[in-house]
Amino acid sequence: MNKEGIISSGLLELYAMGLTSAEETRQVEGWVNQYPEIKQELDAIEASLESYAKAHAIVPSSSVKDKIFSHIASEQSADANKIPSIKAAPAPQKVYRIPTYFKVAAAAIIIVLIGSVALNYSYYSKYQSANNELQVAQEKLRQNEQANLAMKTDINVMSDKNSLPVVLKGTPHAPDALAKIYWMKNTGEVYVDPSNLPSAPAGKQYQLWAIIDGKPVDAGMISTKQGIYHIQKMKTFGSAQAFAITLEKAGGSPTPTMDQMYVIAKI
Amino acid sequence: MQDVKKYSEDELVHLLKNRDQSAFSYLYDNYSSVLYGVIYKMLENHELSEDVLQEAFIKIWNNFSNYDSDKGRLFTWMLNITRNLTIDTIRSKGYKKQSKIQNSENAVNNISDKANTAESFDALGIRKHLTLLKNDQKQIIDLAYFGGLTQEEISKTLDIPLGTVKTKMRTAIIELRKVLK
Repeated sequence: MNKEGIISSGLLELYAMGLTSAEETRQVEGWVNQYPEIKQELDAIEASLESYAKAHAIVPSSSVKDKIFSHIASEQSADANKIPSIKAAPAPQKVYRIPTYFKVAAAAIIIVLIGSVALNYSYYSKYQSANNELQVAQEKLRQNEQANLAMKTDINVMSDKNSLPVVLKGTPHAPDALAKIYWMKNTGEVYVDPSNLPSAPAGKQYQLWAIIDGKPVDAGMISTKQGIYHIQKMKTFGSAQAFAITLEKAGGSPTPTMDQMYVIAKI
Repeated sequence: MQDVKKYSEDELVHLLKNRDQSAFSYLYDNYSSVLYGVIYKMLENHELSEDVLQEAFIKIWNNFSNYDSDKGRLFTWMLNITRNLTIDTIRSKGYKKQSKIQNSENAVNNISDKANTAESFDALGIRKHLTLLKNDQKQIIDLAYFGGLTQEEISKTLDIPLGTVKTKMRTAIIELRKVLK
C-alpha cells in the first residue's frame, strides 16, 4: 500500500480510536515507523480526537489526585507489586504492611530464641550438677590426699631406722588401753600413736608426759581429729625414763592427774 | 488553549520515564479532566468514574516505561489505558447500560448542561466548532470514544457493513479536523 492509500484507508483513524485488531495495530505501527508523513497524519488525527475529548472534559473531585499520590507514595515506600482495591478507599489511606519475609524472619528469630533459652536452662542445670559433682570429687580427693599424707607420715615415723618404738601398756585403771611411742634416737623427737586409746570424752583430752628424773614433764597434747588418732609429733626429749598418757581437761594440765593415767611405759 | 504549559510533551515523557512525581502532577493537572470526561460519558456515575480515573492514573504511572512516543501521542496512549479500564469496569462489575447509543447521544447533546465541565481547554470554543459536525458523524465518533464499541459492534449498532465503519470513521474525523481548524 502506498502512503496515499494508507492515509485514505481509514486505518489510521481506527488506530487512533483504539479500534484496530492486533494485526492492524502492528501494520499501522510499521507504517508510522517507516513514513514520517504517516506519522504526521496520525499525529493530526490524534490531536483532533484529543480536542474532541477536551470538549467533554469534566473536572473530577480534588480528592482523586490526593488518593492517587498517596497511593503512589505508599507503593514506593511499601511493596509495589499490587494495586489494592481502589474502590475500598473513601479517603486517602496509606497502607503499611509488614512484608511477609519480615514476619517469617521474626517468627524464626523468636523460635530460635525460645530454643536457646531452653537449651541455656538445660545446660545451666547440667553445669550446676557437674560443678557440684566436681566439688564433691575435689573434696574427696583432698581428704584422700590428707589421709595419704598422714599415713605416709605414720609409715615414715615407723620405718625410720632411728625410731625406737615404745609400747605404753594399759594401767589397772584402763587395762585394755594401748599406745605407742616412736622416739627418734638421733634427734630426740617423740611421736605418739594413740590409735588404741579409748575415745576421749567431750571436754577431755589425752596428754603425754615424759618422766625425767622421777618428775613428769609435759610432752604435749594429743589432738584428736575427727575422732581418728594419727601418729603425731610431740615435744622433743634427749632423755627420759618413762612415758605416760593421762586424760586431762581439754587444753592440758601442768601436772598429771595420776588417777587418770591410761598407759605407761618405762624405757 | 489557555493552559500554560510547563513542559513540552518530549520533556514530560522524559521526566515521567524517570518517575518524576512533579511531572506526574503536571500530567494529572492537564489531562485528568479530559480523561474524566471520557470515563464519565461512558459510565455516567461520578463515584465509579472517579475510581476508574484513579485506577487509570496509577496504571499510567506504573506502566509509563511502556509508552513509546513513536507509536502515537501521549494522550492517545493514556486514553486507551483509561478507556480499556472503563470497558473492564462496565463488563466486570455487572454494569448495565441499556442503550449505549442513547447515552452517548445524550452525552453529546447535554454537554452544555454540565456545570462542572472543565473550561481550561477552551472547551466552550471547541464545542461551538463541534456543532458544525453532522449528527451521524458525532455519533460514530462517540460510539467508539464514549461507547467503547468495537468495529463489529459499531457496524451492528448503526446497521452498516463492517467495511464502511472505517471509511465513515475517517470521514467523520476529517470533518472534525476541519471544524477544529
